[in-house]
Formats: sequence, structure tokens, C-alpha cells
Amino acid sequence: MDIGRIDAAATLGDSWLHRVAPASKLVAFALVLAAVITSWNVLVVGSLTVALLAVAASARLDGRLLLTLAGYPAVFALIFAVSAATSVLGGTTIVLKAVTAALAAVTVILTTPYPYVFAPIQRVVPAIVGDALLMTYRSLFLLLEKFGNLLTAARLRAGLSAGHPVRAARATTRALGGLLIYSFDLSQRSYDIMRMRGYEGRLRVTLPTSTSPGTDALLIGGAAALLATSLAWRFGWQALNPYSWVVPLVPLAALAITLLARGRTT
Amino acid sequence: MSHIHIPDGVLPLWLWAGGWLVALAMIAVAGRIASRSEARRKVPLVGVVAALMIVSMSSEIVPIAYHVNLSVIAGILLGPALSVITAFIVGGVLAMFGHGGVTVLGLNTMVLGAEMVIGWAIFHGLLRVIGRPRAALGAGLATVMTLAVTTSLVVGVVWLGGAGAAAERESGALDPATMRFENPFAGGIFELGLLDDGRSEAEEDRHDEDERYLSAGRFAAVVYTLGPFGWLIEALVTAGIIGYVARVRPRMVFEGALAEERQRIPGDESGGH
Amino acid sequence: MTRYDPDRHAEAHRDLETVVHVSCVRHSYEDGTTVHLCGLDFLVHRGQRVAVLGPNGSGKTTLLYHLLGLLRSREGEVRVFGVDPAEAWPKIRQRVGVVLQNVDEQLLAPTVADDVAFSPRQYGMPEDEVARRVTATLGLLGIEHLADRVPHNLSGGEKRKVALAGALVMEPELLVLDEPFEGLDPASRAGLIELLERLSEERGVTVVMSTHDIDSVPEFADYAYVLAPGGTIVFSGTPAEVFAEAELLAHGNIKPPILAELFAALGRAEPDAPAAALSIDHAVEALVRWKRGG
Repeated sequence: MDIGRIDAAATLGDSWLHRVAPASKLVAFALVLAAVITSWNVLVVGSLTVALLAVAASARLDGRLLLTLAGYPAVFALIFAVSAATSVLGGTTIVLKAVTAALAAVTVILTTPYPYVFAPIQRVVPAIVGDALLMTYRSLFLLLEKFGNLLTAARLRAGLSAGHPVRAARATTRALGGLLIYSFDLSQRSYDIMRMRGYEGRLRVTLPTSTSPGTDALLIGGAAALLATSLAWRFGWQALNPYSWVVPLVPLAALAITLLARGRTT
Repeated sequence: MSHIHIPDGVLPLWLWAGGWLVALAMIAVAGRIASRSEARRKVPLVGVVAALMIVSMSSEIVPIAYHVNLSVIAGILLGPALSVITAFIVGGVLAMFGHGGVTVLGLNTMVLGAEMVIGWAIFHGLLRVIGRPRAALGAGLATVMTLAVTTSLVVGVVWLGGAGAAAERESGALDPATMRFENPFAGGIFELGLLDDGRSEAEEDRHDEDERYLSAGRFAAVVYTLGPFGWLIEALVTAGIIGYVARVRPRMVFEGALAEERQRIPGDESGGH
Repeated sequence: MTRYDPDRHAEAHRDLETVVHVSCVRHSYEDGTTVHLCGLDFLVHRGQRVAVLGPNGSGKTTLLYHLLGLLRSREGEVRVFGVDPAEAWPKIRQRVGVVLQNVDEQLLAPTVADDVAFSPRQYGMPEDEVARRVTATLGLLGIEHLADRVPHNLSGGEKRKVALAGALVMEPELLVLDEPFEGLDPASRAGLIELLERLSEERGVTVVMSTHDIDSVPEFADYAYVLAPGGTIVFSGTPAEVFAEAELLAHGNIKPPILAELFAALGRAEPDAPAAALSIDHAVEALVRWKRGG
């Protein structure tokens, strides 16, 4: 989980998906998530996966980062699938659902800066919770930098080498201890600054508006179509299951076209 | 084992939605308690501790690919109300990084929050018995006990999830097929035969009841085998860190982070930066 | 040699309002360290540009923290705009802009524009007024292009400018800066000095800053206080007066500007050498005159 790279992708990237209003992306995310949850048909879930990959590819997201992050839950889904699923197909579906849901979340976080993802949440929870949620973002980067320095120092002092797991663990522990102390001092200083700058409770973040409402509508429409398909196959499965093989064709075609177009422009 | 590594869309609706409801209620109560005094000082504190937990979770201990959570430590330093808030924030941020589901966030908040609160309670209970000089030992023991409890909580959730699936099927509230891993090709074109074991619906139901115990049992077997290694590492790390902090900033450990008075200003009075 | 003369100081600024007054403040930290800011009174008048000099450990930051009400004095008196900042900070905070040492930690909001908008929003200004002020302040510092960036992707100098924008957005009457030149490259440093001068001249902003950057003192400040280890305020005067006190500076571990040292050495070698000039222009002028005269 490379927080720095995730953030860089979201804040420095510039694609059609980056330019979509954060609120629209969150709505689309909710629709896709609902689609993932509803569906137990492996082909439908697989179609959702491919559709998301097509979207990610068209936004030129870092493929390796995307797949690493989305693949992480697969490991745990696998443990769950092995113990809970009744068949190979069922297990595959569980893993695929986990990966697809994560893929949707990661696509949002790789194209939307953290504050814009969490600002809508901050507005509806108690002030102390919401403001702390936003403060977490700045703190993350301050701590990451400090932790990097502490870890380097601890390793240099411990003479870290791969051959000494105990020493390495100790170095990490020491760095974490130092980081903990630093964190509390940091929170005290942040409080001082907030007080001086007139903090009265309730931070505010201005959300960017969409530059092209048409694209936003298209994204939400696409996500709604995915949910509709998912719902149709769930409730009309007896009639529709024979035609399940049709579903993946659409996103596969979209992915192929995207990749071809990308290949031509690069 | 602190966050439920159950993916989105596996647990039944009532379970994860119920988790959300309980978690939101907990947050509302915790928010109200925390806002009673010094609310503004708590905002950066919670933000920083949440960030600290996320940073520690994102950095593996090099050779063994295990990541610590610092949940018990955070609980000890924050106390119960702020712990619940922090658990929600950590779960929410991790969910957006694809590290734990969005729908299970409510359950995650409950489990992680429980871990912090139980850790805090056991640690302070133990301190009364073994005394402050053995704070590190107390923290280590508290961690092992806490993680054993919360791992069982997760197993309980999985068991409930299995039960829920069966219940929904029996009630007919949802289409039976959706909770079964139906072969999408069963109706035509070609047969995979993965699920077609020729049992009747009634047999299937009975089978599901057995399956529920079986699957929860299998899941329990996996986490109770792998878990203790994690508990032990977490306990050692926790003991190390608490031992260190108890030496340099005792009030932080014994009275909580908010009891701390202002430290010397960095770069001033200390003869250097 | 000019010893500090309270009467002369008071006379020079008699017609001006006293903005800051600190007298004999003692602060004890939890670990037992005590900083006793005593000796001379620390006075700042409206429109003044005051530098606080002193070695590490002399309590410069402690002094500033008292001005900002972040530390409460257990004895002695602190007055900023006539009130005790530790008691009544909310009354005066809109009139005081602050940039402390670690600017990284001072950027609270997730984006630059939101950070600069922090204070006006907390004070409940309408959103269009907030936007107007943010744009104007970013323009003043020449960092409009950073508006949508996130703070941790900025360079050190950019972060400092953003923090300064956050302090200036309320158009403060008093600006408190702790080590404002730390980590700035020469161009940014020159830019900052120029900006502070402009603020001081055009808006009459009063500036109090602590600094290690001795060369900036004659360039920017019109008055300076010297703190000795332990917090004693040992000397005050114009930069020229302060830098003439070679012994005092050496005792306080403060290295005077290179020009001051040059003229001091010259004075020892040649009895008829000119008095210290602290800017390049003045130094050239003085030396040329000396050469012609001698």
C-alpha cells in the first residue's frame, strides 16, 4: 500500500476520469458496488471487472499499482473462499467479487484526491469525526516522511541486513516508538496552529465542480447500466442465465477498443 | 486480524447493514462524549493517531511480511470514545485503498474499535495487578488477550454470515439461486457440472445448515492457526513500544495522551533542532 | 558605543501605539527547564520591524509563543494590543498573522486554496468574500498557480509562501514570524524581504521575527532585541547599534554580519577607519569616502 504513489496518481494525474466531479464518481462507485454485491453470477461479476479495467485503462491509470491494490483483498478472499464456498465456481465468484469491489474503490482513489473523496462524508458525521478524518490526510504525509527518516536512522544504527530478522524487527519497532512520540507532539503543535488560525470546529473543503457535465452523466449512466444488468440477472436468472455469456462481450469489446486506441496514440 | 478481511458482497445484507447501523450509533455516542470537553484539541490527536495506524499498517516488518496495527497502543493512549472514532477513520481510509470492504466498514469499525477499547481496558486492569514498572509486559499480555477476543469476534461474524445466507433462503425473501453459487450455464449451451450434484431443494437446505457450521469451522481453523503468530508479533511490538514510551513519557501511557502537558518547543531551549 | 537607553527608545516612538509589551515573563517546562524572559522589556510599536536575535536555547520561540498566547506566563506581563493573549486570544487573533518554524505542520487544509481560506471561513466570512481574499493573497505572493495543489507536493519555499498567505489573508496588523528565512533559497529570501518591506510600507504592518539569518537584520529590521542563553533580554537597539556590540554578540554566540566584522577589524587595524556600514551600498560609499579623505 504505497500511500505516496496513490496520492500522486490522484493529485498530479490528468485524465477524463480525474476531471469528473468527485460527487459523480462517488455516485458511480456506489452503483458499481451495489452491482457487485447483488450479483452471484460469475460471468456478470467478471463483466463488471472487465468494465472497470476498461475505464481504468482509458484513464491511463498505473496498471501495476491498480492491480497490486485491487489484488490485495484477493488473498484474504481466498482464505474466506476456501473455508466458506461450496464449490470452485462459488470460490471463484467470491474472489472475483472482492477484487472487483476493490478495483472500483481503487479507481476512485487513484483519480480523486483524498480530501474530495472524504469531504462528502465529513459533512454528514459529527464535527469531531469529520474534521479528524480530514486531518488524517495531512498527518499521513507528515508521518510517512518522519517514519522514513526514523527507519533509516534505526537501520543504520542497528546495522540492518536481510540476514538479521530480529534486528530488523527491532529497528522497525524502535522507529515506530519514535514515530509515536513524534505523533503526539505533532498533534499538540497542530492544535496550537489551529487555535491561532481561528479554528472553531468544522473544516471546510471546496469541492471542484465538473468541467463537462456530459461526461459525468455518461459515467453515472454507465454505472447504472452495470447495476441494471446485475439486478436483471439476479432476479430473472431463470430466464437469463442461458444468455450470461453475452454479458462479458460488451465490456471486453470496450476494453479491446480502449487498448487499441491507446496503442495508436502512444 | 483486526480488520475483517471478508470482501464486499459476501456477507448478507442484514449483517453488514446492521454492522453499519451499530457502528454509526457508536460513532454518534463517541462523538458526543468526545465533544464534551477539549473537543478541538482532540481533532488533531485523532487525525494523527489514525494516520499513525495507517502508516504502521502500510509498512511491513521487513523479512516476514507482517504488518502491525498498533491498535492496542492507540487504544491505551486514546481511551474508549476517541478509539471508536479512530477505528472508523482508519477503516474508511483503508477501504478506499482497496484494503477491506466498504460495505463491511461498519463491522470493521466495530471489531477494530472493540480491539482498541478491550486492549485499553485489559491493559489498565493488568497494571493494577502487576504494577506500572511492568507496563511493557502488561501491554504485551493485553495485546494477546485482546487479539484472541477480536479474532473470535471475526469468526462469529463469519458464522452469522453463513447463518444469514441460510435464513434468507428459507424465508424466500430473496431468490434462492442468488445465495447459491448457481452455474450460469445450467440452463443451456453447455454444462460445467461443477454444482450439479443432483440433490433436491430440501436436501440442499439441510445441507446448507451443515455447511454453515462446516464453513465457519473451517474459517475458524484457518484464523486460529495463523492468528497466534500475528498476535505474538503484535504483542512483542506493542510491548517494545509501550516500554519505550513509558520510559520517556510515562504520563502518556498511564494517563492517556490528553494528560500530556506541553513539551518543550522544538528548536528552542534544547540547544539545537 | 550605545548602551540601551529606554528613554531614547520611548521618545523615538512616543507618538506610536505600543502593540506588544512583554515584561519579565517566566516559563517553566514540565521537565524543569526554565526560561526567564527578563532584563529589558520587550516593546514593539506600530509599524516597527523588530528582529529577535539570540543563540539556540535563548528562548526566542518561547518569547514568540507568549505573544501568541500559546504559553501562559506564570509571572510577569504579556500584552498584545492591550490584552493578555493567553486569556483573550480570540479577541485579537484576527489582527495577528503567524508563521511558525515548521511550515509543513502549519498547512492544515488538504489543498492550498482551502488552507489559505482557513481563517476567513472559520471567522464566518461569506464564501464570495473568502474567494476574493484568497485570490488576492495568492496574487500578492505570486503563487496563484498553486491554488489547487496539495501541500505535501510543494517545495519548501512554496510551503512557506502558502503558510505566509494563510497568515496574510486576514490582513493582519501584526505579523509574527519564527525563523522566516529557514530553508529559503537566495532568490526566495530576497523576494520575502521585499514583500515584508512592501507590507510594512504600504499597509503599515508591524513585524516581529526571530531569526538566525543575521544578514537579513540590517536589510529588513529597524529594531532588534538580543536574547542571552536562559532568556535574558540583554540589549536592544537599531541594527547598527546592536552589531557594534561585538563583545555582547560573541558572548551570545551570535555571529555578526560579515560587513560588521569587516568594519570592526578595520577599526582595530586603522584608528581612522569609518564606522560600520551594514549594507553593501553604504559600505562602498564609506570606504570610498575614507580612501579619498585618507
